[in-house]
Amino acid sequence: MDMTRSEPAVAGDDSSVPSGPGQLEPMLVSIARLGTSGLLRVTGDPGGVIYLTDGRIAAISTPGAPDPEAILLRSGRVPEAGWSSAFAAAASDGRMGAELVKRDLIGAGELEAVLRTALADALFALVAGSVEECRLEEAATPALLPLDPGAEAEWLLAEAERRLGVLAGLRAPVSHDRDRLTAVQGAWTPRVGPGDGRAEILALANGRRTARDMAFVLGRGVYAVTLQLSRMCDNGLLVIGSTRSPARAAGLRAVSAETAPPGPADANGSGGAPPLPRRRRGGSGQAGPRSAEKASVLRMLRTGVRREPSGG
Amino acid sequence: MSGLSESLHRILEIDGARTVTLVDVGTGMIVESVGEEPAGLPAAAASLADEARLASAAAGPERSGGDLEEMLVVSPDHVHLLKVLSRSQDEGFMLFVDVDLARTNAALAAMRVAQFAPAVLR
Repeated sequence: MDMTRSEPAVAGDDSSVPSGPGQLEPMLVSIARLGTSGLLRVTGDPGGVIYLTDGRIAAISTPGAPDPEAILLRSGRVPEAGWSSAFAAAASDGRMGAELVKRDLIGAGELEAVLRTALADALFALVAGSVEECRLEEAATPALLPLDPGAEAEWLLAEAERRLGVLAGLRAPVSHDRDRLTAVQGAWTPRVGPGDGRAEILALANGRRTARDMAFVLGRGVYAVTLQLSRMCDNGLLVIGSTRSPARAAGLRAVSAETAPPGPADANGSGGAPPLPRRRRGGSGQAGPRSAEKASVLRMLRTGVRREPSGG
Repeated sequence: MSGLSESLHRILEIDGARTVTLVDVGTGMIVESVGEEPAGLPAAAASLADEARLASAAAGPERSGGDLEEMLVVSPDHVHLLKVLSRSQDEGFMLFVDVDLARTNAALAAMRVAQFAPAVLR
């Protein structure tokens, strides 16, 4: 794939564009205007790679959100055996999506819809995280399941902003990649028949998993799982057991005293018994967060640092 | 034009249809939309997804009537038609169709949308 680098606004001569927090969005907008193709490697937490075709976003691979393969397989939309045979037949020449449809493993419309929602979820994870550097490269290997034609960057960015705004306004805010959830014993009575996913979430809520972790297990979007976790916290079915420290990304960015996590948060993200479940302020409240809190929640979503309001 | 967009355009040809949108129920995101795009459509899509989820919780697959399939919101001039296309674990996709009642009636619009809807995800 050729990588168009006609304008230094997108990529310098060395195709490296150092950028700080908040620079991913303007870069994607510039790339869209220039119709650039290639691969944008985003360094940060969670970081990832964005596959670009003619300025549009065709695929995103990030540890921050499940990719289409995980979503299709773990949600049960595509059976494992069918996936394997389609992969063997078509993955090498980039026809995986067409092969899945040809084998009637998924409808073309549903596949396109899943690819679009997976893209939106992945970009949300990137935008909600921290960005240290963006580097434009030539794509050596194509994505396994690209959206064709790709999605407009501005549309995906607007959707990511909408999601951040919704999360900031929740009555029981949950950080998608920091808060580990614990089920409240006896708060829910299982029902017979296909449900709304609460039973699966409660089975996973052992105090060690974040919304992101559950999304990977369930093959669902991180944002959708976060919304459901928040509702379940609001209904008293879940509590935030512990909060992962942003220190995991210490090698990627310096954590200043201003953003140091409060309290005895688990610094390495694992090991040690989590503290006892605790209710968050407003977790069972009736009113939405005050406007002063909203900015605090937005900051928490972006930085992973939770600050309880000081009152008033 | 994508295959999804083509499918939605077929529904847009129904008499009176002004906007046809595919919405992700789990997130309220507009996956694809054709026709008129009034201001506030993204917020409306998110609200509609919430309504569908609440209605589904009230109906529920374990209740005698079965799971939610369709909702009609009728006003003097419009009918907003929600058609659930797929649903699993609080997620799935639904169609939102805004229909002008000056050009058709609610029952006929619902019947025509039901005819085209299964092809959207195929």
